Amino acid sequence: MTDPLLPPRKSRRHFLKTGAALGATGLGVGSALLPRDADAADPKVLNYLAWPGNADPYVVGEFEKEHGVKIRIKEYVGGDQMMAVVNQSPPGTYDVVLADAEYMHLLKAADFIEPLNPADYALKDFWPEFQKFPLHWFDGKLYGVMIDFGYLGISYNTKAFTAKEVSSYSVLWSEKAKGKVGFFDWYLPSMGCISLSNGNRPPYDLDKAKFEGLKKKLFSLKPQASGFYTIADIFSSMTNGRALLIPGIGEWITLGLRMSGVPVDTIIPEEGGIQYTESLSIVKGTTKRDLARKFIQYTISPRGQVAMATKVDNRKSIPSMAGWKLLNETKPKEAEILRMTLKGPNVMDEYKQKKIQLRQLPQKQSIEDWNDVWSQFKAL
Amino acid sequence: MDSTAALPAKAGPHTPHRARTAGNPAALPVVLGLPVLVWQVVFFLAPLVFLIVITFWQVRSFRLEPAFVLDNWERVLGAGTFHMALWHTLKVAATNTVLALLLAFPAAYTIALRLPQRQRDLAVAMLVVPVFSSYMLRIYAWQVVLSPEGMVNTALSAVGIGPLPLLGGAFSLQVGLLTLTLPIAVLILTFALSGVDPVLVEAAENLGYRRSRVVLHVLIPAIKPAITLAATTTFLLAFGDYISPLFMTGSKPPTLSILIVDTVKSGSQWPRASVIGVSMLAVLALVFGLGRWFASRGAK
Repeated sequence: MTDPLLPPRKSRRHFLKTGAALGATGLGVGSALLPRDADAADPKVLNYLAWPGNADPYVVGEFEKEHGVKIRIKEYVGGDQMMAVVNQSPPGTYDVVLADAEYMHLLKAADFIEPLNPADYALKDFWPEFQKFPLHWFDGKLYGVMIDFGYLGISYNTKAFTAKEVSSYSVLWSEKAKGKVGFFDWYLPSMGCISLSNGNRPPYDLDKAKFEGLKKKLFSLKPQASGFYTIADIFSSMTNGRALLIPGIGEWITLGLRMSGVPVDTIIPEEGGIQYTESLSIVKGTTKRDLARKFIQYTISPRGQVAMATKVDNRKSIPSMAGWKLLNETKPKEAEILRMTLKGPNVMDEYKQKKIQLRQLPQKQSIEDWNDVWSQFKAL
Repeated sequence: MDSTAALPAKAGPHTPHRARTAGNPAALPVVLGLPVLVWQVVFFLAPLVFLIVITFWQVRSFRLEPAFVLDNWERVLGAGTFHMALWHTLKVAATNTVLALLLAFPAAYTIALRLPQRQRDLAVAMLVVPVFSSYMLRIYAWQVVLSPEGMVNTALSAVGIGPLPLLGGAFSLQVGLLTLTLPIAVLILTFALSGVDPVLVEAAENLGYRRSRVVLHVLIPAIKPAITLAATTTFLLAFGDYISPLFMTGSKPPTLSILIVDTVKSGSQWPRASVIGVSMLAVLALVFGLGRWFASRGAK
């Protein structure tokens, strides 16, 4: 029986056809106005889908020179945007993709990446904890190679708070923090930290009751909020004092600010922190598989790893012990600042203390469910 | 018209060419208007229809797929976050419209009716320049001025006051929006007041009207369509703005524009974002219609 609320089938077909035609016209007009992907198949161009800054000459210049190629980056901000780009690009548009590990299974499900031969990559140079990173393997096959990682906890203004005060997420609810808690406007790391503060381990695998508990806890933070910030605004709000505490970010923000003289630091509270990792994969159907493999090999080589760790605008931890060794030999001061010294305390300590949980997509709810809660929180 | 139409018949070798242009006076407006019409159809009407169409589509695994479902409309229009954002955006835009008119009218009155010609031209030029400068840069400048460690608070701390929470609330949001809307409102009202017949003002003054009564009973009725235009323009700009709510309040609370971005950001929900977009366009069409109705009442 026909649904009385819907138009007849013929109309619906007509509607879909019209819509698709309009869409095609729109896309046609749009693509005609965009630069042509003339060199997508150029063997001397490696097309790279990645977060901003990853094709900086400081990072890839040496590889380009050595192989006489050009790395052409298409930048995205956020895994969801990456997935949208992936789904809207014809095969052969990209050769290599940089993805956060939690999106790896979606790339695999979309049949966008191909299995890698573990023997091609110096995984034995990695810290043992990262040699078989669980989010990179499916059915015993490797699909991504970790190139860097970092921890997310609480970043804070060191003039306003002491390390002892921020040793627990409970500081976010303190009287002193009222109206001064900034939020990175991305539900995943922000809600992940609040989930940890509610005792959830792992923070993204929550049954209905725990998810309701997270919602309640998150909403109770509203009087403390100063605002919800983009990456650029996080830098300015920590610098100008709008935000004195921000959960869900880490040294990738505060290290550069601190080196510029801003009194900020990051701590992994006693309830734990979240680890993000970035990894490289070869895009299925690329005609430049060999070049793509060499690019990944370069990025996890000691030289490539030191470049990744010491990028001016975005310093990160690296998984390769060989990279650590070269960093300590060539840039000992940087190694100390980055907490990647081979003797004494270093960034692996938190991992060994089991304080770190992996950042993952929601396990029992949809992305939209979590995002809806985040939108509700913002609108309170 | 007839004499023009008769010319080609008397012309010599150029007759065919002249007949095409001068022979059919209706052709000229069509020729001149066609590019605009094509532009509007391709870049406004077609995208608008497409925007409406995709509100019925679906997203599967981050991919937009043609369908005919009402789920997007039900989910968005039934969501508390949408209601709150709609109400907040309406309040913000209405407040900004009132503030812009209250601030713009005295300024426009002074510029149009009190300043000598040369200073008037200078004032108009100074109002035009910000319209063509980067709005984003102006907002960043306000952040520097209003932040807790910014210029105002630094000055206040020198006299033992503050720091005041100037950035991140309704005050800073209105400051940001006025940066966008106020110059335009002042310009519209200035041009309108400049066009008022001075004889009307003189007549009212000769009849013993005080200046406040001249403003209320002569000037405001005389420029009612311009006031309506300034009000609707201000409302439209403030209602759809994304920059000020984002950077002057930190999205706290979100406006509809921010809600659109949030909806796309997680899950690539273009259809639901389009529902919000279409709803915004409906509100703007309603406001525009009300404005025209209000202005036309005065005209009759």
